[in-house]
Amino acid sequence: MPGFAHIVAAASIALIATASTAADQNEGSRLAKLLAGDPAAGFARALEPRAFDFPHDHGPHPEYRNEWWYFTGNLEDASGRRFGYELTFFRVALGTEPPRSDSAWRSNQVYMAHFAVTDASSERFYVAERFSRAALGLAGAARDPFAVWIDNWSIRERPPGSFAESSPERERWTLSAADDRIALKLDLAALKPPALNGSDGLSRKSADPGNASYYYSISRWQSSGMLSIGAETYAVTGHSWLDREWSTSALADEQVGWDWFALQLSDGTDIMFYNLRNTDGSQDAHSAGTWIGPDGTATSIRPGEIDIAATGTWESPSGGRYPSGWELRVPGRELAVTVAPVIDNQELRTLVRYWEGAVDVRGRLGDIAVTGRGYVELTGYADTPSSAE
Amino acid sequence: MPVIYRASLSYLLRHPWQLTLAVVGICIGVAVIVAVDLANSSARKAFLLSMDAITGVATHQVIGGPAGLDETLYRELRVARGLTNIAPVVEGYGDAPSGPVRIFGVDVFAERAMERFADLDSVATDDDPTSLIGDLLTEPGAALVSEATAAALGLRRGDMIELVTAGRVHAARIIGIFESTGGAADDVLLTDVATAQVWLNQPGRLTRIDARLGDHPDAVARFQEILPAGTRLLSAAGRTRATTEMSTAFMTNLTAMSLLALLVGLFLIYNSVSFSVLQRRGLIGVLRALGITRRQAFTLVVVESAGIGLIASVIGVLVGIGLGERLLVLVSQSINDLYFRVNVTAVDVSGLSITKGMLAGIAASTLAAAVPAFEAAAYPPRLALLRSTVEHRARHLVPLIAGLGVLTLLVAAATLWSSARSLVAGLAAVFLVIFGFAMCIPLAVRGLAILFERPGRHLAGLPGAMAISGIATSLSRTGVAIVALAVAVSATIGVSVMVDSFRGSVSAWLERSLQADVYVGAQGGPLDPEVIADLAALPGVAHVSSSRRARFEYTGGQTDVLAIDMAPGSYAGTEIIDSLDVDVWRAFDAGDAVLVSEPYAYQHEVAPGDTITLPTTSGDRIFPIVAIYQSYDVSASAILMSRDTYDRYWDDTAIDSIGLYLDEGANADAIIAMATAIAANRQALRARSNSDIRVLSLEIFDRTFIITDVLYWLATGVALIGILSAMLALQLERARDLAVLRALGMTPAELGGMITLQTGAIGLFSGLAALPLGVAMAYILIDVINRRAFGWQIDMDVGAGVLVSAVLFAVLAAVVAGLYPAWRAANSRPALAMREE
Repeated sequence: MPGFAHIVAAASIALIATASTAADQNEGSRLAKLLAGDPAAGFARALEPRAFDFPHDHGPHPEYRNEWWYFTGNLEDASGRRFGYELTFFRVALGTEPPRSDSAWRSNQVYMAHFAVTDASSERFYVAERFSRAALGLAGAARDPFAVWIDNWSIRERPPGSFAESSPERERWTLSAADDRIALKLDLAALKPPALNGSDGLSRKSADPGNASYYYSISRWQSSGMLSIGAETYAVTGHSWLDREWSTSALADEQVGWDWFALQLSDGTDIMFYNLRNTDGSQDAHSAGTWIGPDGTATSIRPGEIDIAATGTWESPSGGRYPSGWELRVPGRELAVTVAPVIDNQELRTLVRYWEGAVDVRGRLGDIAVTGRGYVELTGYADTPSSAE
Repeated sequence: MPVIYRASLSYLLRHPWQLTLAVVGICIGVAVIVAVDLANSSARKAFLLSMDAITGVATHQVIGGPAGLDETLYRELRVARGLTNIAPVVEGYGDAPSGPVRIFGVDVFAERAMERFADLDSVATDDDPTSLIGDLLTEPGAALVSEATAAALGLRRGDMIELVTAGRVHAARIIGIFESTGGAADDVLLTDVATAQVWLNQPGRLTRIDARLGDHPDAVARFQEILPAGTRLLSAAGRTRATTEMSTAFMTNLTAMSLLALLVGLFLIYNSVSFSVLQRRGLIGVLRALGITRRQAFTLVVVESAGIGLIASVIGVLVGIGLGERLLVLVSQSINDLYFRVNVTAVDVSGLSITKGMLAGIAASTLAAAVPAFEAAAYPPRLALLRSTVEHRARHLVPLIAGLGVLTLLVAAATLWSSARSLVAGLAAVFLVIFGFAMCIPLAVRGLAILFERPGRHLAGLPGAMAISGIATSLSRTGVAIVALAVAVSATIGVSVMVDSFRGSVSAWLERSLQADVYVGAQGGPLDPEVIADLAALPGVAHVSSSRRARFEYTGGQTDVLAIDMAPGSYAGTEIIDSLDVDVWRAFDAGDAVLVSEPYAYQHEVAPGDTITLPTTSGDRIFPIVAIYQSYDVSASAILMSRDTYDRYWDDTAIDSIGLYLDEGANADAIIAMATAIAANRQALRARSNSDIRVLSLEIFDRTFIITDVLYWLATGVALIGILSAMLALQLERARDLAVLRALGMTPAELGGMITLQTGAIGLFSGLAALPLGVAMAYILIDVINRRAFGWQIDMDVGAGVLVSAVLFAVLAAVVAGLYPAWRAANSRPALAMREE
């Protein structure tokens, strides 16, 4: 999830840039402005490729300003009822020096989380949002064992146990979140190793060398658990996707947003591609993606190697026109598929307004027909960030 | 306008002074009522507003023991229990250069659910996108103030202020300014939980956890179930109510005093109306002869008086609003001294207060007109009615009224006897006693006039005798003036005796209970244990006592526990009023026994032998009461407990203040200087000698009664206007008689002297009549009102000085009020006066 710096940057300087250049600044989230920090020097920057060390790197990297743990997934119950979910944790550092205080509440790390559920059959979309400081155990992230949490929303490494489809060395985590109307508890078992995006995990977002992040994905997790919507609870299974990214810098000024695709095909192939858009509507040369084969081998996809064309649009009731439905082709791989949202309205009216939703994939890979499911994220279409509710 | 009303109007306009006096009387009464009501309601409203602002949409509050809540409970509720509609609060007071401020520590993220006074989202709306939340979270000392506070103190963003909490100095930096409506948050310094914990020296503790549970009893019950022992869940509204109710007795007493002012005003308008009726007896006789009915004559007088009442009430309301602003300062000062913090800057002019004042004014003036109106209706339709007839009738009425008065006094006694604890019934009895006595006064005055006729003759010959007997023969006029003055003077006596007795009792109590030579505490927080150890080791310090005041709140009220570690031999400082037949102090030291203060025992209706349940760290526990002790501490009724007992049941080591018992010959001031110096780098101490504390306590006591003083001076003012009006009326009416006296050779000086003697005698009679009423009022105020309002007993002490000066005051006041009428009469031209009829 590339420049998702924008969302984290709700808590950092990038959003300020967005908010203050927006035509109607008053509409902008005031909280977003409040959260904006100084462009503080002293943070580490993603300048060079680094040696990743798993499971160590699943944990937090507080020397960087922003970081996120991004789970999306497609689930269904025994009767085939279709659901999508997103559970994301963002970390924002307000400073580089850990503050010293007699109070356990003092912290310079702030966490934010989004939890969304798509119920395709009833065409409903549910969103919840949380904020907290990383103090007193209210929120935070840890390694060995891995955990990230806000309140009672968490993703945690599970103690060793049986999970048939997973090889023993792969990650086994538990995901848990509950709000007034929705609740989800999933057992997750990684089916593939971490795939490093960009150049060995260094993901450049613009020509400025500082505008880069460290970025990896675990693109396929066997997922099973319980999903509750209102009074109803469903036993669900499906596949999830994890994006992990940390950085200090944000998008360049001329970039307005991105379209991000994370598709899981029925043959075991996973495709990630983000299309960075410039203010003039052109595709930015730093758009990039990764082709992850059924065995987990990751290969970069360059902008020229992929062709994505929107086939429709969706008008948000809160303003803003999003593309909706695409034709996606990777000629070099003989891939040609259509990507269709399972429902139109999967817009998160959170601190920063964006569209993130479950999609269906259908088409051909070489000679064979493929289907698939996935998630698409669209930012920079709602011209102003929503006001925080 | 019907002709009779036109006649009435033109009469009133031709006698402007009379109209003015009637208006002024009611006006002052209404003004005082409106002012007191506005001051009370503004103080209460300001308090409620600030509580609302601080409570936000929270419906409940989780509170803990004296040391607050363990902060990990908050994590437990949020992370393990998944509760979201909760928010931590660390609250306390500190001193800024501008005065005391309420430090309010919150978590900005949890605040999003609470919708409190400072909508943080709306704070930094200007173009400068400073990282407000970031600064609040990470910068020690970052704080926000309200717009009004910023304007009042000339604060701008980025300014630093010095803050003293728990005797330590901290720097606060103003990082933002928030909007606050109605001054609700004008004393609030809003900051992060972490900063508040450091400032208030409460690491690891929360003052409370606010919760938004809604009204559903299930939600409340479920929440209650997961709370650990030693914590309590209280409704936010109930908590606010309990706090405001502490001041109810105080406010009720103020309202009663304001009614006294109106009561005296009522006499005044009665006086004016009845005089105008008397003076127009000829006119009314003519009107009756021309065919207006008795009912019309009655209505005429009542409508006229109601009209005056209306005008006077409107003016009174306006004056009252102005007066209310002044009173508010006094009222809020007293509430701050006695009960709770209230920060109120402006009178909130409420329609209700104005309506109350208007209704009281119009009702009083209509009521006061009833008797004269009956009189007017009773006039036979003749051209003229002799003044003597009226006076004759009045003379017959005097014993009858006195009989009614005795009956009223009996009703008052029955009210007192039958209403065991009601404050309002007690105040009603005070008014019944005033009415009853007032009705007996005319008869008493007639007796006094007969008694004093001979001394009057001795003093000034025939004019002297005439002056004195004139009072009795014109009772229909002078009676009311005398009653008004007597009531005002008796209120002075009653309140003075009460305040003097109260002050005496408090002073004696302070003398006895302040056993240590020096008391040491820290501003707004507990003492540093190391400082205590160092002070105990000072040369010259023989023993150290300590105390900790812990406030326990429960549904519907709060109680203070005083945990005391007494110095050897200092037990005598606590006066035991009632106890079980055991060694009280042994039970107190060795067992779980507690002592309760007299107000506590009265309010909770407990006696030695009963028990009391308190929420200890491990849950509720029962403590036996062995004795009741004397206390005039009004802020919260208290339970006295030994420190050992307290330490057994509460996890709280804090000590609020210590008493230093010095060696023979040690100098208290020198010890204070040493103590302050020794602690200088750690804590700013408040160290005072016991005599300083006594002086300071009595200053606060006196400040509380400033309002009382102001109110009874206003009542006296109304009475003086009454005397002036009565004497003017009398001289005017007797102009012809006086002219005859002049024609018979009396010099203007002699005439003036005679009238002055008469007014002096009126003052004397009023003063004498006021004595029994004043003493009776003092008795009721002390034994009934104070007991019912505060629960304590006061030794009544009637000083001769108070009584003598009250009588002298009455004489002086009457003479002063009579100077102008005397001068007027003396300077009238007899020929003109005689020619008039």
